[in-house]
Amino acid sequence: MTEPHLPRPSFSLSLSAKSQRRRNASSPLKKSIPCSGAAQAARFCMGERTLTGRLAPCRYQIQRTAGVLSRLCALALLCVCFFFVAGCGDDDPPIPKPAESKPGATKQTGGDTKPSGQGGSETEPAPKPASTEVAATTTGADLSKNFPALAALPEVPVPRDNPVTPEKVALGKLLFFDNRLSGDAGTSCASCHDPRLGWGDGQAVSRGYAGTQHWRNSQTTINTGYLTKLFWAGEVPSLEAQAKSAITGNLAGNGDTVMIEERLAQMPEYVQRFREAFGVDHASFDLVLKAIASFERAEMTVRDTAFDRFLSGDNDALSDDAKRGLALFKGKAGCIQCHNGALLSDESYHFLDVPASDVFNTDPLRQVALRYQHYIRGVPEGEYRNADTDHGLYYTTKKAGDRGRFRTPPLRYLEFTAPYMHNGTLLTIEDVVEFYNQGGGRNENQSPLIKPLKLTEDEKFALAEFLYSLSGDEIRMSVPELPEYEVAADVAAAKSSVPQESEDR
Amino acid sequence: MSKPARPRPTILYLNQKIDRIPTEPAHPRPLSEHSARHPGNDMLKNRLRRTACALAVWFLATVFGNAQETSPRPLAVLPKLAIDLPAKEVALGHKLFFDKRLSGDATLSCAMCHDPKKGWADGLPLSKGYPGTLYFRNTPTVMNTAHGKYLYWDGRLPAADLPTVVRDHIAEAHFLQADGRLVIERLRQVPEYEVEFKSVFGGEPTYGRILNATAAFVKSLRSQDVPFDKFLGGDDAAINDSAKSGLALFKGKAGCIRCHDGAMLTDGKFHSLGLTSNPDIFQTPLRHITFRRFFRTLGVPNYRALRQDVGCYCVSKDEKQREQFRTPTLREVSRTAPYMHDGQLATLEDVVEFYNAGGGPRATKDPLLKPLGLTEQEKTDLVEFLKTLSGKPIEFPEIKVPAYKLRKLGEN
Repeated sequence: MTEPHLPRPSFSLSLSAKSQRRRNASSPLKKSIPCSGAAQAARFCMGERTLTGRLAPCRYQIQRTAGVLSRLCALALLCVCFFFVAGCGDDDPPIPKPAESKPGATKQTGGDTKPSGQGGSETEPAPKPASTEVAATTTGADLSKNFPALAALPEVPVPRDNPVTPEKVALGKLLFFDNRLSGDAGTSCASCHDPRLGWGDGQAVSRGYAGTQHWRNSQTTINTGYLTKLFWAGEVPSLEAQAKSAITGNLAGNGDTVMIEERLAQMPEYVQRFREAFGVDHASFDLVLKAIASFERAEMTVRDTAFDRFLSGDNDALSDDAKRGLALFKGKAGCIQCHNGALLSDESYHFLDVPASDVFNTDPLRQVALRYQHYIRGVPEGEYRNADTDHGLYYTTKKAGDRGRFRTPPLRYLEFTAPYMHNGTLLTIEDVVEFYNQGGGRNENQSPLIKPLKLTEDEKFALAEFLYSLSGDEIRMSVPELPEYEVAADVAAAKSSVPQESEDR
Repeated sequence: MSKPARPRPTILYLNQKIDRIPTEPAHPRPLSEHSARHPGNDMLKNRLRRTACALAVWFLATVFGNAQETSPRPLAVLPKLAIDLPAKEVALGHKLFFDKRLSGDATLSCAMCHDPKKGWADGLPLSKGYPGTLYFRNTPTVMNTAHGKYLYWDGRLPAADLPTVVRDHIAEAHFLQADGRLVIERLRQVPEYEVEFKSVFGGEPTYGRILNATAAFVKSLRSQDVPFDKFLGGDDAAINDSAKSGLALFKGKAGCIRCHDGAMLTDGKFHSLGLTSNPDIFQTPLRHITFRRFFRTLGVPNYRALRQDVGCYCVSKDEKQREQFRTPTLREVSRTAPYMHDGQLATLEDVVEFYNAGGGPRATKDPLLKPLGLTEQEKTDLVEFLKTLSGKPIEFPEIKVPAYKLRKLGEN
């Protein structure tokens, strides 16, 4: 069982990453992700006020039309580029469009059939003659050439406005473990992203802030520096934005930003550390987020997994079972359709119809959380009245077709992050494999990529073996010694001296 | 000197003793020829003169306007509420007042700082606030709030809009730090509340209804059977002789009535007592944090360097109001120790002693405060009078807050 698939040269990754970015940039989804409704409404209202009445909607329309036009142009440009590239016989095909919504693309998903090529015509990659499948007979045709290649993790990307420095990382670590970022000083980031529980909280659905219960599974923070869509429905685009939502969210940190800044100002050690890390005298909430994100980028990256070593040429890094699992992953099981690229996630949205979580039937506070989320996300009233489950991407886009779709989670560090899925209903990796083997749920709107797989017991075992190889070593960390509140220096000094203000008598 | 000197008429105005009243002017002024010919002109002059007088009086009244403050309104019995409170709404508000689920982490209710057993305050010099914070001012009682003018020590909200005051408490980071939408969903998870809101408001819990019901309950908290009110109503035996002397001192020598006047024993205005801020605010980091955050959010310049509560200035930004605080009502005062905006004075005796000494040392001190020179007996009498301002404690049956129950999923 030798795995013929060779690690791609690094440029292929950078190309795919780039095209991925391009795809994101032209995707209407991404544009509308951070509070799209509210932001657009606000812009609309402001326009209405300044442009007096009917002009404003016009301008809004023009903006929209312009947006659509520019996207069309970008798409056309992409097509031209593609034909050029394909004509040159490049063996690294561009990424197809997210295949889910296109009926043609579903034909690729059949276990033993070769990609038929009748999907989206211009995005269908040229057949790749070099890749011959030894194991094709048992593990299915290799679908991997249709998708961004599985690859070793590169260096974590660092945003230009927040370069990683040792000072920031050390500061971010303290903040990550500091309860005082939450409203009642009882919850830290690490409360729900616990190093001992795979940097999640080990529960099916997260515990949330005191007096509340959360409504989704707490995801690991490991390797989140690579993501461009965070939270289960990809609501935010960066670690900084994620930290902000988590700290201030009423089911998570319930923190007040000004209170946090003033708390930090009361601890000379933090003041000193912010000065060293950012050159400021007064910590701002923004810098808190930057420090935490830097800590996550620097210390929560697991790149040295068995699979990464295997991709780098160490053929012995994977067991034979795991190699077979890899072939299944790319072939018969079709996992690679969504779990692709270095992160093993397409960062796109799919509806899996995972089993409904029981917590919403058994815990009043979970019901509170479910209704609350529907309320604050601005769904139509009927939607709120009938709320009985988490609709994922729908809350952002308000499109019926996005109901139940969640962002594909990366598969790295998988071993430590049970239970799985957005509502934690699958307890083990084996459960997940079995779930897909049976073709997911029964909902008619479920992603067409998901079909019964007819895996044998042995194949399921092999697939799980491969998934375990993605985990690497667990990152354990003890809670650092946190700075303490201190009395303001001048007050402490004045306490010993004689009080003044005698001139008033 | 052919004519003998006639005795000058002596008029002793002060004694109202008048020896001789001139029946007519000795030398009646003849009308000038001009005036005689044009009587209207003379009237015009008179009018002008009167107008000038009126202007002068108005000018003096404006310039020495403070002088009017020295003529305080008389003390009076606690007024009745303008409208009757719906009993059902009050009963609902009662539950809400004691419900911890109105706070962000569901650990704090209104009643935990406005404790019925402690005069509807918390008995602490400085209030505690939300977990993880400590507040920097004293908890005032919520008794008789319905008759107040401004609320909070700095008077930043009008008492007439009590629901807004309740909202401020629920939302503020140092009080209950709760998202109103979350509070609604929590209450909707309690079937008893659903029923009760339906019967009171004809619908399900909304934030506005939650605030209104809580405010209605707070409005219902009024002093009952106050000895002093009975005394004013004609029951001479309602207060003892010491208290009666205290009352005389209150209105006279001690001058308390200059600020504590009217039925609520407050002028509803702002004064500085010259107090230096409670040092605990700055020596306890958590209080100093809340202190800074508060003044920062209200836009007080240079809030980091403040070592003194700026009082009403944080609202008005008027330098003249720096360190001024709302005159609190004295009703129920014997139950709401410790005293002053930052709880520095532990007992009523301390308060009387503080005023007897002429107030605090700060330059902002109101000029009304002067050393009083009270004797020990007078101080005792004054305290005795203050005690007659508290009614009998409000007795409530032990409130049982209804519990969460499961709803049928999808039927919201």
